[in-house]
Amino acid sequence: MADASTGILRPRINGQALTTLAVLLIVGFLVLLPMVFLIEESLNVGDPMAFPPVEFGLGNYVAIFQEDLKTVWNTVIIAVMATVMAILIGFTLAWILTRTNVPGRDKLERLMELPYYMTPLVGALAWAVIAGPKSGFINQLWKAIGGTGDIADIYTHFGIAWVMALFEGTVAFVMISASMKSMDPALEESARVMGASKLRTTLTVTLPLVMPGVLGAMLFVFAEMLGSFAAALVLGIPGRIYVITTAIWDSTLSYPPDYGRASAMGLALFAVMFGMLTFYRRVIARGSFATISGKAFRPRPMEMGRLAWVLFSVCALYVALAVVFPIAALLMTSLQRFATVILSQAQWTLANYQLALSLGPVRTALGNSLMLGFGVASVGVPMMAVLVWIIYRSQLKGRGGIEYLVMFPQAVPRLVFGLALLWAWLNIPIGIYGTLWLLALAYFTVMLPLGVRTLAGVVLQIDKSLEECARVCGASWAYQMRTVTLPLLKPGLLAAWLLIFMACVRELGASAFLMGPNAKVIAPSIVSAFATSGTELTAAMALIQTFTVIVALVILFRVARGMTKELA
Amino acid sequence: MKLWAVMGIAICAIGWSGGAGAQNAKLCEKPVQMEGFKTCADVAKAKAEGAFTLYSTDPEQGQVKLLAAFNKLFPEIKTSYVRLQAGALYAKVLSERQAKSYLVDVIQISDMGMILDFQRKGGFRQYVSPEMQFFPKEAKSQPEGYWTWGSVIMAGIAYNPNNVPAADAPKTWEDLLDPKWKDAINVKVSNSGLQHGVWYMLKPILGMDYFKKFGEQKPRAFDSYVQQYGRLVDGQDKIIMGAQYSGYIEFKAKGAPLAFVFPETGVPAVPETYGIVDQAPHPYAAELFMDWFLSPVGQKALAEALLLHSPRSDVPPPGGADTVPLSKMKLLSPADWNDFEKDRPSFAKEWNRIVGTGR
Repeated sequence: MADASTGILRPRINGQALTTLAVLLIVGFLVLLPMVFLIEESLNVGDPMAFPPVEFGLGNYVAIFQEDLKTVWNTVIIAVMATVMAILIGFTLAWILTRTNVPGRDKLERLMELPYYMTPLVGALAWAVIAGPKSGFINQLWKAIGGTGDIADIYTHFGIAWVMALFEGTVAFVMISASMKSMDPALEESARVMGASKLRTTLTVTLPLVMPGVLGAMLFVFAEMLGSFAAALVLGIPGRIYVITTAIWDSTLSYPPDYGRASAMGLALFAVMFGMLTFYRRVIARGSFATISGKAFRPRPMEMGRLAWVLFSVCALYVALAVVFPIAALLMTSLQRFATVILSQAQWTLANYQLALSLGPVRTALGNSLMLGFGVASVGVPMMAVLVWIIYRSQLKGRGGIEYLVMFPQAVPRLVFGLALLWAWLNIPIGIYGTLWLLALAYFTVMLPLGVRTLAGVVLQIDKSLEECARVCGASWAYQMRTVTLPLLKPGLLAAWLLIFMACVRELGASAFLMGPNAKVIAPSIVSAFATSGTELTAAMALIQTFTVIVALVILFRVARGMTKELA
Repeated sequence: MKLWAVMGIAICAIGWSGGAGAQNAKLCEKPVQMEGFKTCADVAKAKAEGAFTLYSTDPEQGQVKLLAAFNKLFPEIKTSYVRLQAGALYAKVLSERQAKSYLVDVIQISDMGMILDFQRKGGFRQYVSPEMQFFPKEAKSQPEGYWTWGSVIMAGIAYNPNNVPAADAPKTWEDLLDPKWKDAINVKVSNSGLQHGVWYMLKPILGMDYFKKFGEQKPRAFDSYVQQYGRLVDGQDKIIMGAQYSGYIEFKAKGAPLAFVFPETGVPAVPETYGIVDQAPHPYAAELFMDWFLSPVGQKALAEALLLHSPRSDVPPPGGADTVPLSKMKLLSPADWNDFEKDRPSFAKEWNRIVGTGR
């Protein structure tokens, strides 16, 4: 009894081992199960509607090399162009907004995030109006001032990459910002004191220190671009440019559906992603990126003098291209009886808003999307934080494998992974098919890479000695996580929460196949409106969605004012 | 081949005149007269089920309107729907059935190949509606009660008179081969049942050489008529080959500058087909819906919601007085749907080559 009361010999429950085991089991199950179905289907060379398949072979993979090389080439070229643009834009904006004294920082930062609040279709639709060949606004303006031919054509490889970078590349800005916010400015100040110029300081001190964040963002954005669908759908098809996702879309919509081909194409992108992830792991294994140490610091921006206004203009230009012009173009479209860019034949009406708001199921869908975003982000982010800690801080054997595992859902285009989730969950007899619960599980699974990548950049910056200090002082693993690791991760956690909330609200690929008649979400409804009801109604729905998400976020931030300060 | 096509057209023409040859084999003994339609469904049980789910390929706002009209008559029955393109919708239903997950009561698919396949697989539950006797024979399954055509879609040629003067506009399918239309035509993708109908019906009449030459015009392919007409309005394309007539009615009503041509050869037509799904979770509500939907009141609600023509001869065409009724169209519709289904893979391959999907 005496022993028990002092606790000396009482067997202690190992919190770390239990949490690690639980998280790994859940994540392993959620990710691996659909992958098994996907691999099985990619080897199906018999009846595409046979589940499970009866004839197996490598025919679907061989077909990629025989018939789809042009599509693969288009995909890679566009993804590379879009990633380069997105990282350049993201790094520049993140640096300006976190490391300099640019005027109106807080407001600008909120505006920068706006493109990410919108459904992926918005940017593509808007830029088709702005820079479409023959009748786009830029070309109309060009002809009005006496020009001949077209000076802008968005239906090109570059055009698609441009729209992807502007709208889907916002994630790069948020991820890199999270890293920069957690950086001790003393290192930059030391460089400045030693006489280095601002540019040199940025290139030789800031850039290397935030490298995990930048590389993580690059890896993530490249995968995102490979699997990007909306811009390719709206802008690629009119230009007869097909990428893997639009080819997959065709394969799954045709009858009989070519699931084998779609699965093989999706899995083929694995090789590319594995190469990227290996490269990333090698780079971060070589250096030390700890910038959050035991020493107290307050983020202090660099004084830029008059240059601050130049930097402000750069931010303003981005806001104009990614927010103001697209929203103006969509607003104009949403007020027309039929969408046209030739204003002389336009007929104006508010009927599209009336119609969109009268669509009861659309209202429910928007509510469901917001609820799922809030729930998945709130439950998912802490789990992802533990996962990131396991990967980068624990001594667990095979933790490198876990990092590869959580990237699986990102390495396969979302549309294909959505199909795999459908097959997996249809075959589990627990009755959640067709409900919001399944969508929540699916969202958590497909958001894993986003959460892990965002948090990894920040975890790598935390000096191990802080955690070791807690352990040496006698803290248990759970106590150390609660009092040291998680508080230090707070800006990263909040960034991840925001990203995942927004990614859930605009989720399309997985939702398209998993929605039930009474469990609908907004993004597929908007794409469906684009496909069947015209751009004018789509624009109205997209603007209503964007407005609602912004209002929801403002309310959330007001409620958690402390958190707002952390993010700002 | 031409003779075969003409025979096919003749068979269809008999059918389109409507009315004859309904099989009443399994019709209930005492259909109940409701407001504007007769039903064999147990209305009290349907109301007690309290829900009804439709899977359909039609635009969302159209489905919402259609279901709202049904819900107005039966407010106790809450309606819901899933909207996907035909291939994806059919695959979803098949996957659900394999997993014994039954969520859908009535399914609508715009592709007869899938409908016949679903019937072969035992996917439909037989229910002979008292309203089915008013539908032409080819608009119903054999035996009757598994599926019925809910509407008919037809395809002609459309252009924008602001960009193409009427005198220069194409009048026949052959006119579309004129080099002046190169790079200025749009069509639907190979997944479209209507585009397949255009190919299947025109190929024997105009010859395979026609489509070879058509490919040289470098047409662009789109998923939906909405994008096709949108590009015409904006001047990005000049002509739609296989233009969906209901889309023309919709855009014209909004004031868009458009003109529609019914070529003398005829306009290819395909149906949208409805049927009650086996193991439907709300079987009585499903029967009640089918009875209402196939009646003149349901068909009028469909015409208002989706601007589609009813196969019933006693239902007026959708839109205004300018709309051409079915009886005044020369419809080209496949006589043998099984053959139509078998033709699908070769069509998809050829059409993808013509529109340059790179696959």
